[in-house]
Amino acid sequence: MNRLNRLPTLRVNPSEKLTFNYIGSSCQGVKGDTVATALYANDVRIFGRSLKYHRPRGLYSMDGECSNCCVEIDGIPNVRAETTLLRNGMNIRPQNVRKSPDTDIMGFMDKMDWAMPAGFYYRCMHKPAKLWPFFLKQIRKAAGLGRISPDFHMKGRYDEIYPNADVCVIGGGAAGMTAALTAAGQGLRVILLESRPWLGGFFDYRTAEYTPSQEGISRTLCERARELSEQLENAPNVRTFVHTAMIGAYSNNLITAFQTGNKSDAFDERYMEIRAKSVVVATGCIERPLLFDNNDRPGVMQVGCAHRLAQTYGLLPGENAVFSVGHDLGLEAVLDLYDMGVSVACVADVREDGQDPHLLEKLTERKIPFMRGWTAHTAHGSKTLEKVTLSTLSGAQHREFDCDTLVASAGLTPVTGPLTLAQAKLAYDNHTGFFLPEKLPEKMYAAGRMLGLQSPLSIETSGKLAGLSAAADCGTSLEHEIKQTREELRNLAGPVRGSKFVTAPVRGQKSFICFDEDTTVKNIDQAIQAGFDAPELIKRFTAAGTGPGQGGIPGHNLPLLVSQWHTDSGLAVQPTTVRPPLVPTYLATYAGAKHDMCKRTPAYESQKKAGGVMQRAGVWKRARRFSDDIRCQEEVENVRSNVGILDASTLGKFRIFGPDALRALERVYVGDMSKVSEAKIRYSAMCNEDGCLLDDGVVVRRGENDYYFTTSTGRAGQTVEWIRYHARYENWDFSIVNLTDAFGVINLAGPNARKVLEKLTDADVSNAAFPFAGYREFAIRDTIPVRVMRLGFVGELSFELHVPSSFMQTLWELIEDAGKPLGIRNFGLEAQNLLRMEKGHVIIGSESEQRTTLHDLGLGFLWYRDKPQAKTVGAVALRQTEHQEGRLKLIGFRMEDASSRSPKDGSVIVDSTIRGYVCSARHSFALNEPIGMALAEPQLADTDTRLEIFEDSGDDRLYAKVVPMPFYDPEGEKLRI
Amino acid sequence: MALTITCPICGRRNGYEFRFGGEDKGARPDEEGLSPEDWCDYTHNNTCIAGIQKEWWYHRDGCGSWFTIHRNTITNLEAEATA
Repeated sequence: MNRLNRLPTLRVNPSEKLTFNYIGSSCQGVKGDTVATALYANDVRIFGRSLKYHRPRGLYSMDGECSNCCVEIDGIPNVRAETTLLRNGMNIRPQNVRKSPDTDIMGFMDKMDWAMPAGFYYRCMHKPAKLWPFFLKQIRKAAGLGRISPDFHMKGRYDEIYPNADVCVIGGGAAGMTAALTAAGQGLRVILLESRPWLGGFFDYRTAEYTPSQEGISRTLCERARELSEQLENAPNVRTFVHTAMIGAYSNNLITAFQTGNKSDAFDERYMEIRAKSVVVATGCIERPLLFDNNDRPGVMQVGCAHRLAQTYGLLPGENAVFSVGHDLGLEAVLDLYDMGVSVACVADVREDGQDPHLLEKLTERKIPFMRGWTAHTAHGSKTLEKVTLSTLSGAQHREFDCDTLVASAGLTPVTGPLTLAQAKLAYDNHTGFFLPEKLPEKMYAAGRMLGLQSPLSIETSGKLAGLSAAADCGTSLEHEIKQTREELRNLAGPVRGSKFVTAPVRGQKSFICFDEDTTVKNIDQAIQAGFDAPELIKRFTAAGTGPGQGGIPGHNLPLLVSQWHTDSGLAVQPTTVRPPLVPTYLATYAGAKHDMCKRTPAYESQKKAGGVMQRAGVWKRARRFSDDIRCQEEVENVRSNVGILDASTLGKFRIFGPDALRALERVYVGDMSKVSEAKIRYSAMCNEDGCLLDDGVVVRRGENDYYFTTSTGRAGQTVEWIRYHARYENWDFSIVNLTDAFGVINLAGPNARKVLEKLTDADVSNAAFPFAGYREFAIRDTIPVRVMRLGFVGELSFELHVPSSFMQTLWELIEDAGKPLGIRNFGLEAQNLLRMEKGHVIIGSESEQRTTLHDLGLGFLWYRDKPQAKTVGAVALRQTEHQEGRLKLIGFRMEDASSRSPKDGSVIVDSTIRGYVCSARHSFALNEPIGMALAEPQLADTDTRLEIFEDSGDDRLYAKVVPMPFYDPEGEKLRI
Repeated sequence: MALTITCPICGRRNGYEFRFGGEDKGARPDEEGLSPEDWCDYTHNNTCIAGIQKEWWYHRDGCGSWFTIHRNTITNLEAEATA
């Protein structure tokens, strides 16, 4: 198809070709094409088949207001071809067709409409119940739009942004652009959203004269639009987002939208949440479809669709056209298309009067037959349009015309979705035939064509007024300017009278009010006959407006049509409710970027190189184990008999200092913090208000009012918040610094640990000089400053070295080198857990849960009860629950049969009822038998009690007996060597 | 989601950046002579005002301070303190 390539309004570049694939054949489009226009240029007239009747459907609107042009692109179903820009190499397929759209074998469904009255799905398909699944399957097969497989993987790059602005303007037409420029002129930060890929709205594609101001310079509307858009580009404080659909409005002027990226953007789609002090809605109008028989026939299209197809994309909609319009924009389109070479057989206008005389003059000049008070009555043609019958509004007279294009529209209707979402009150206005805002929410203004304005100057002035009002809400004093502009607007042309005509005088069996759901005018009648009287109910019963177009096609016609039945009842015409998202949005867009963000310890590389199996653990990625053996036998045995090295950098590490630091520690730690000294670590725990264990760690004093403490990995993120929360009423003077990422931690553990450390430092690390629970600071190789703790940890002689992160890698390698002759080796998280379990140490969240108190875990001794003045978090509950009966207690167990396997974590302990559950159980290599810990009723807590363990996978019971903990080295001798 | 919160240090910010810290119930009571019921009231029971309430918020993704604001629980918007 040849393009008109010299038009000033053109938005495509016909010299730059793009190639795509459509049902197996290679086609060409040009840069700037949407998928729909590219298909149209390749003579595709039938884009797909309809949901229920498999009727052929084609290009109808241009903004994706119906499912007619939904196609499958690169495997993604239900993509709106009209709003999707063509890209090289796209693979495009039609939807809901067997074979091709032209020869769909399900086309016979169109003859079956008698069998499917409104609501048939609810009314017929439940008796007999046995047959329902069968019908369901058949219906699902025949009806529906795109197909998606359950294991479909959504491709693409998605992102999200949360910009702030003083004024957010929705709609980049003349009114919106003027509003944005006006607000920006007051020095405010403005965000402008436009759903099409360019600014301009109704001005962009029109060459009619823009009413000039006094200077007498004549410009076209298109030129004016580009002038405004240029001014916006040069305004430093305006952020313009094109190809961005507004999808939601919430209280506090929160606007949500999504933007479609172009080639140079780092995203395909991105979700936006815009917070603005005030909002201007200038979303303009869409067309209100004219209802007549076969109004969905490919070849029938809206005025704007035909007009923009020619002016914006350089494509003539057809050769012989008939027009049936209800608005002056329709007459403008007739003239433009005629001048471009479309032969116009006839123009029908549903309005008896009120047309712009200049336009009528021009029609007469061109000898185009014009019929007032006539409408399209029936479209003919088996698959695409061949002929049209026009009639008078009453249906008394008919005339037929051959044509391949019928441009039909009943009039305009404002895009009120954004206002409705923001809880604005709309009322039907009899003059314009629009739903107009009656009461707008605070700091929200409407402007432009959506108010019924037609003259370009009125539209721009209303934009200016809205821009000034929105700016005034941001704290600028503009009373005088607002008053002046309001006066100016009053002297300009006001809202124009709109047509209220909905349906041609037909029975309506094939007049579609909603294309998405195949709802006809007759279906609406059926619903009314069935007793549904409100549009909201009829919408649900007939499904009109519930498809992907989100009510774009039937949104205004449905209430108008229904109101014709209520002419006597005095009921106000009410629109149906709209809900977000206003425009269908990918879930992937809402989900945003899938950044799998995690932290790496400073010794990550070494561990990876040593064969570490790196796994996510909370916010960290750390080594689970260093071999294929999931039980980690060699790692574990090496720690028990030789020496192992563990990267424990994920531990939370904090400095707290200041005159009141001790009071803060006393508040959150259950122990007696006043005893914390400089050479000795103190192990303690934090509880929540219920006395349940939250965290454990060690505290050491490094100077006057200066403490260093550790937390478990999982609590590191919340510790600052927790301590400050519990000090929030106190006005205490202390500071807390999270050093978790600033320090790496190496745990050197095993009977030979000291031999390794001795090689690296001159400091005396002998048992006498640096005993168990000691804390020392010294230098490794005279250079690397380390803070060293002698901890129990895995139950062997162990040194925990805290080192500035920048030295971590070096220190790691030094230790590995020093330990090489001894056979030092890495151990990972899995080995650590088993080693600690053999010592009866609990893992918070594994051996404890939300309801497990310090007493339940046998850790009550950590609680120092004689500090009521500290008001320690959890102390009151610890006192109250100390002797409470019936609480689950932590117990250790061995299997009765030492050769048995260990029970699964989470298995329940039973007799005639459930008495507890296994927290974790593993095979202990040190003891050479399975051991485990469980939370069980106190009656089962005595040593040697027999436990019956039930696993949900089998019928066999496992038997264990309660033993004292720790399992390994109960006297703790190995820690103290 | 539409909530914005005015942090005394960082100014008016997106509500996503904050963590809720409960109603403002005053300083911790003395442990001496505290009945379990009174303790439970302090820690767990809330007034749940339908209207403007004073409550604690933590600027988690910001300066890390705890502060109070007044919020209208019906509109879920920050509000001026009622007299």
